Amino acid sequence: MPAHKPLKLLNAFFRAVDLLSRLSGVVAAGLIALGVLVICDMVIERYLLNRTTIWQIDVVTYCIVSATFIGSAYVLKTRGHVNVDMLPLQLGLRARYWLAVSTMLLAIAFCVVLLALCTAYWHQAWAGNWRSDTVWRARLWIPLGAMPIGLGLLVLQYIVEFISLLTGHARPFGIGEERTHS
Amino acid sequence: MSPTMQGAIVLVMTLLILLSGIPVAFGLGAISIIFLLVFQGLDGMRVVAETMWGGLDEFTLVAIPMFVMMGAAIGSSPAGKDLYEALDRWLYRLPGGLVISNLGACALFAALTGSSPACCAAIGKMGIPEMRKRGYPDEIATGSICAGGSLGILIPPSITFILYGIATETSIGRLFLAGVMPGLMLTGLFMLWTLFDMWRRGFRSHAPDFRYSWKEKFGSIPKIAPFLAIIVGVMWVLYGGVATPSEAAGVGAALCVALAVIIYRMWRAKDWWTILRETTRESVMILTIIAAATLFGYMLTSLYLTQTLAQAIADAHFNRWVLMGMINLFLLVCGFFIPPAAIILMTSPILFPIVTAAGFDPIWFGVILTINMEIGLIHPPVGLNIYIVSSIAPDVPLMKIIWGTIPYVLCMFLAIVILCFFPEIATWLPNHMMGVKN
Repeated sequence: MPAHKPLKLLNAFFRAVDLLSRLSGVVAAGLIALGVLVICDMVIERYLLNRTTIWQIDVVTYCIVSATFIGSAYVLKTRGHVNVDMLPLQLGLRARYWLAVSTMLLAIAFCVVLLALCTAYWHQAWAGNWRSDTVWRARLWIPLGAMPIGLGLLVLQYIVEFISLLTGHARPFGIGEERTHS
Repeated sequence: MSPTMQGAIVLVMTLLILLSGIPVAFGLGAISIIFLLVFQGLDGMRVVAETMWGGLDEFTLVAIPMFVMMGAAIGSSPAGKDLYEALDRWLYRLPGGLVISNLGACALFAALTGSSPACCAAIGKMGIPEMRKRGYPDEIATGSICAGGSLGILIPPSITFILYGIATETSIGRLFLAGVMPGLMLTGLFMLWTLFDMWRRGFRSHAPDFRYSWKEKFGSIPKIAPFLAIIVGVMWVLYGGVATPSEAAGVGAALCVALAVIIYRMWRAKDWWTILRETTRESVMILTIIAAATLFGYMLTSLYLTQTLAQAIADAHFNRWVLMGMINLFLLVCGFFIPPAAIILMTSPILFPIVTAAGFDPIWFGVILTINMEIGLIHPPVGLNIYIVSSIAPDVPLMKIIWGTIPYVLCMFLAIVILCFFPEIATWLPNHMMGVKN
């Protein structure tokens, strides 16, 4: 039925973003786990084997920074980004809905602006072949790539949250809503 | 527009936007971009991405997800139950022994994790139902766990101290050491109050002729020995000059996961994912706030707001203790509304120059700030621990939990007063172990 086509497309979009956000959580968790392993390797090499470590500090730091940007969409999906819900709780349903719409628009605007700025920054690093000022001389466009990728995923997840709010599939500020963390 | 006027506008807007319910990180980021754009135009946008990246590109920050993982590994295992059972067997003869055991278990758990919610949830899940089963009043069962859980951010390792250390370029090792004695003192104050309250009510947790045998008492030790070993291990690595906080935290996290896997047989993929998921959610949340708060700090400094405020306070020539009282009041009010990580990152760069100019020890101030944050954690309306405890015991009315926390809030006020009179309680240990800092 042609009338259902936009709805199908929307559902497909929702499913795709849901999958991407879950994937972002798995990747971020993997990066943090990798960070732990590299730290253990660093401690063993430096203190037990008395070797100098070159790449470990850079890799661990980049893992954690990348996990922050990439995992942000997953954390948004599972309502992990902490907020102050004192005012929304005091408001009536209608006022709470409009407040949720306004704050979400502000947050989306911020994320879109940041995505544009970070993409430009990443492009500068890539075009200029920037290197870290550490011994390892890491190519910075690789870790910096986490910023546009993570923020892109975050914007997509926010759009899904916004449409869910407008269509009544999500409650304003998630108040009174249970969410699974899978 | 004068910097004072700009400062007032930024302050009001920041409060309004944070109170609107927007996630704190995005709210801080949005305010920063708006004000940079308004006061500096498009030029102000050039450094946004670089500042946010730079705020996170710091090896010291790696300690945060590592300490969170330590807490997640221990918190998702039955370790809280074992800790608390062992303490109950040793302390059951005291009046209100079970509450004392819970507070002790919270303090020990705090030494394993850097986070209050983790501490509160891990001990509360076991302790609250048990205390209520044995007839303890609801407000004491819930209030003591709220308060005990808050020790998580004072007794090292502490994420709050890491954030303060990074925001003010203060030694995290010193801050950790400075938290030890105030943490023990606060635990002692909590316990003393509970003992007094229980004695006053004539309450006993066991029948007068009830005894645990020595075998039962000593049988509980092997269960908690590995935790104590990890605490000692991490502290030795930190202060033996062996490794940095991030390295100690990384090894500690690996050891805690290994402990959970070996002792509690948490080797299924689902168990691993639980640990990693909790680590990722909490770490990403904190680190995103750090990135946004770095941008916020940059905006405040580049508009000369930090400097203007510090200068205005210096010009006012307040008595230093009046100043400290005002700062405490300010932090308390902030703590009513805003989560600790955001308060520390937003206010430390502003308060630090004021406090050091007034001649206060920055390490000591870190401890005072943290106790203020602890009060915010168990104080309505935002008090996170209250809501965690409420989710563990949903049938206890919220007001009862809040009333239960009041005596412990007063204990924290008392701790701040004691620390003001005897700052050595915080500064002696770091000065003794790491030398006096000039």
